[in-house]
Amino acid sequence: MTAQNPAPAGSIYDLGYRHYEGKRNGRLYAMWSLFTESLRGVWGFGRPMSAKAAPFILAGLSVLPAVIQLAFSSVIAQRVGSSGQPVQLLEYYDYFAGFYFLVFFFCVAQAPELVCRDQRYQVLPLYFTRSMGRIEYALARLGSLAVALFVVLLVPGVALFIGDVLMKPDAFKAIGDELPKALPTIPASALIALGLASLSLAISSFSPRRAYSAIGIVAYILLMEAIPAALYSIGQTSGSTWTDKLFLVSPITSLIGAAYWFFGKPLDPQEFSGSLTAEAYLAAAIVSIGVMTAVLVFRYRRIPA
Amino acid sequence: MALIKAIGLTKHYGQVKALEKLDVAVEPGIIGLVGANGAGKSTLLKILLGLVAPTAGRATVLGMDSVSETRAIRQVVGYMPEHDCLPPDMGATEFVTHMARISGLPRTAARERTAEVLRHVGLYEERYRQIGGYSTGMKQRVKLAQALVHDPKLLLLDEPTNGLDPAGRDEMLDLIKKTGTEFGIAVVVASHLLGEIEQVCTYLLAIDAGHLLRAAPISTFTARTPVLAVEVEEGADRLAAALVANGARAQFEGNRVLVAIESDALYDTVRDSVADLAVPLVRIQQERGRLEDLFRDAAPTAGSAK
Repeated sequence: MTAQNPAPAGSIYDLGYRHYEGKRNGRLYAMWSLFTESLRGVWGFGRPMSAKAAPFILAGLSVLPAVIQLAFSSVIAQRVGSSGQPVQLLEYYDYFAGFYFLVFFFCVAQAPELVCRDQRYQVLPLYFTRSMGRIEYALARLGSLAVALFVVLLVPGVALFIGDVLMKPDAFKAIGDELPKALPTIPASALIALGLASLSLAISSFSPRRAYSAIGIVAYILLMEAIPAALYSIGQTSGSTWTDKLFLVSPITSLIGAAYWFFGKPLDPQEFSGSLTAEAYLAAAIVSIGVMTAVLVFRYRRIPA
Repeated sequence: MALIKAIGLTKHYGQVKALEKLDVAVEPGIIGLVGANGAGKSTLLKILLGLVAPTAGRATVLGMDSVSETRAIRQVVGYMPEHDCLPPDMGATEFVTHMARISGLPRTAARERTAEVLRHVGLYEERYRQIGGYSTGMKQRVKLAQALVHDPKLLLLDEPTNGLDPAGRDEMLDLIKKTGTEFGIAVVVASHLLGEIEQVCTYLLAIDAGHLLRAAPISTFTARTPVLAVEVEEGADRLAAALVANGARAQFEGNRVLVAIESDALYDTVRDSVADLAVPLVRIQQERGRLEDLFRDAAPTAGSAK
């Protein structure tokens, strides 16, 4: 092989090609790099302004109800309920139940962004011919969406917490009072984030087209919510008692149910029909995360590069 | 150590035999991999990269097995696919840096290498713009840059001049030649265009329908042959007849007369015959072997003069 040439005459700044002798990290570093890049990508950093619009608007919307309560906390604090306690509009434990569709929109918009681009523009062979395995690729993408969703879910909790503390006359005592109520938001948000991320990425990964992926996610969620509900009401009229178990396959319902478990609250009978417990929904949510992650990994093991 | 070695390498896609018992060993250099579309070029590259597993046989890259030591191979190999592979909404710098990090380069090193490599492939001010707005030539440069950024020992290029205009094609070929000679990186160029291979490569690997046709240094294909080609505007038939009458072995092909060079006296015979017949002479040159002959005839002969 020929030796490295000195700089060609006339270009004093050109040092010629230099070989890289430095450190080369392994698979975990490659995964971390993809994870951080994906996290930037979810929020549209390093992309044109138009790519930032969707994530920030949707994340902003999902925080909005909590921010409104925070903004009006001083006004609300003036009103004292009949029990002598200040009126609180939004509780930590049912914020997701009330506004899950805002987080869900974020998922529908950004999950395809993460996995469809690489298929559509055939970038995958560049990853799979590097130190990046297929499973690592899938898990790094999943992790980044889960973390993004976790932030989207956690910020309203923090806003509610600040609002609640500000409503009280003694802030320090209020922090002590509110913290135990607010803390379960962290594990609950983590579980919901993982549940939504695994589900939406697994579905998105089957199409290189963003639009089809988005429709796929919406269709899956709507059908899985609607079909058990329909069968349950049929079951009610015909006297079958087992049909309420079907709610376990409903992704949103089981995530909401699982969130109640973290807060130690009984399930609201107005929202949850049937005799299922929060524990059952928690188990269903964990199983769903496992299955969807397996589907995602399976898809990337088989995808041609 | 052999750069690439294949032993009984076979790959079947169902009924389709992409590669059939390929045995070859290649030394480092700029290696041309030629074959018609569907001859098995891309399949061979994908096996070397560990993207597909061979049906039978084995392949090694720099002494490492393509199946069991895939990860080690990928550290030292750069791959430029045939198809588009760039996300349009990222800048070249950002994308190539990201790919460098996926290859394991720490952040600072990845940035430095990206800047250097983009300069080497000839992307300057435009490297911060989004790739979606690039011309095909610029995209090809980015594709080459991402294959070079982690300083591989071997570069696998699949149809690197696809879709380029003649000027862009020449620039890309120059870059490949520079990579192979100045940068000291072994290169495998898969192409169906023999002219390109002839221009840049030092070694040729010809495959046809999954079989190895020929593997040899390129000079053995394009060496001078003992045949003199005399091109005239008209009267090639009369010139050939006159040469044969003078004892030379000659035949005509259109406006060209091919004469076997048996002694230096032949040049005089040709000169005198042309002068006597007063045929309008265009040029006289020694024939070179051409790569096309390879596919016309599995074992090209030195000359066709009778």
